Amino acid sequence: MPTELPYAADAEVSLSFDELDVLRLQYEKEVEAGHITVQTKFNYAWGLVKSPVREDQVEGVRLLQGTHNIRILAIRKDQKPLMAEIYRAEPARRRECLYYLALGHYKMGNYEDSKKFNGLLLEKEPTNLQAHSLQTLVDKRLARDGYIGMALAGGAAAIGTVLLAGLIRRATRK
Amino acid sequence: MSPVDNSPINVKLLLIGNSSVGKSSLLLRFSDEQWLPEDESSATIGVDFRVHKMTVKGKRVKLSIWDTAGQERFRTITSSYYRGAQGIILVYDVANRESFDALPKWYSELETYVSSSVVKILVGNKVDKEFSRQVSTTEGQQFAQRMNSLFVEASAKTSVGVKEAFEDVVAKILDTPELWVPVGDKGAKAAKRNDTVPAPGSMPGNIDLNAEQSTQADGGCGC
Repeated sequence: MPTELPYAADAEVSLSFDELDVLRLQYEKEVEAGHITVQTKFNYAWGLVKSPVREDQVEGVRLLQGTHNIRILAIRKDQKPLMAEIYRAEPARRRECLYYLALGHYKMGNYEDSKKFNGLLLEKEPTNLQAHSLQTLVDKRLARDGYIGMALAGGAAAIGTVLLAGLIRRATRK
Repeated sequence: MSPVDNSPINVKLLLIGNSSVGKSSLLLRFSDEQWLPEDESSATIGVDFRVHKMTVKGKRVKLSIWDTAGQERFRTITSSYYRGAQGIILVYDVANRESFDALPKWYSELETYVSSSVVKILVGNKVDKEFSRQVSTTEGQQFAQRMNSLFVEASAKTSVGVKEAFEDVVAKILDTPELWVPVGDKGAKAAKRNDTVPAPGSMPGNIDLNAEQSTQADGGCGC
């Protein structure tokens, strides 16, 4: 019996407040000491991305992506992306960063950005099941948003038609 | 606990073990009856998750199976997934001695994070690689016995033993009502409180995430 539904476990489950606090304290301790290990930063960013609180998610993505808040839309293939400190510092973590960036953006509702990062991961690992799963979730949301957009546009068009008909009627009555 | 109650029992299982021993492959074989060759499968990032429904001993069971990344650098992160697990599937590769030798480390992690009543099964995977076997069946069996665990040898590739592994662990969980009968508090967990001391066998940079253990009533996921 195959599982039909895609899952992204880390999108559903967050850490407890205390757990996230442990990661935060470790991070702050290292910031103060002036030496932040990649592991600590990654762990904290991961905990933040999993959080249900939007500000946490934003901070997590910011940590993963780099210190400056540069729109990721600027990323182009030819131009070395202004990627994360983590991402830059440790090539082995590239895939992990990409995945959690995609996940963070998905949770924040930035579906296009999510798709972009996930796409970069899929480029490297075309059969990665976790990435495929996330892709399906993102596509579903995009489609839903598309329907809502269409419904709104459709509604607006209907109202427009009614108004227009009214105007025409009024005009012709004269 | 009425006999006519037909809502399924929620069971949370966790797959742990060194990287590349085939945890994800076992899960994929079990849940989707699929297998990916080595060059097509990728290391799990953080954790993967599947839901699987089955009937064991006449009881309907909804399994949520958490498949954790085996890599060392995910240790801190994966420890957060232990919470609420009723069954642990420890996997090693019979053709990789190192993955077997690492088992005591995995067991000591269990000691830190889960209560002793949690059902454990040791799975020696990749028996299809008989020609390059490095851990004998007897050795695996004896170790499992010593660690108070069930034991099975399996191959995600040929699907030998895979279903048994999952069924055995679920059956044992069903035989241990304290793990799933919803009677308020399941009893205090023997949570070890150490805020700064890393779990045994952990690497620098790893910290005990479960330092403050908040017990959650339900073991499954909310989906």
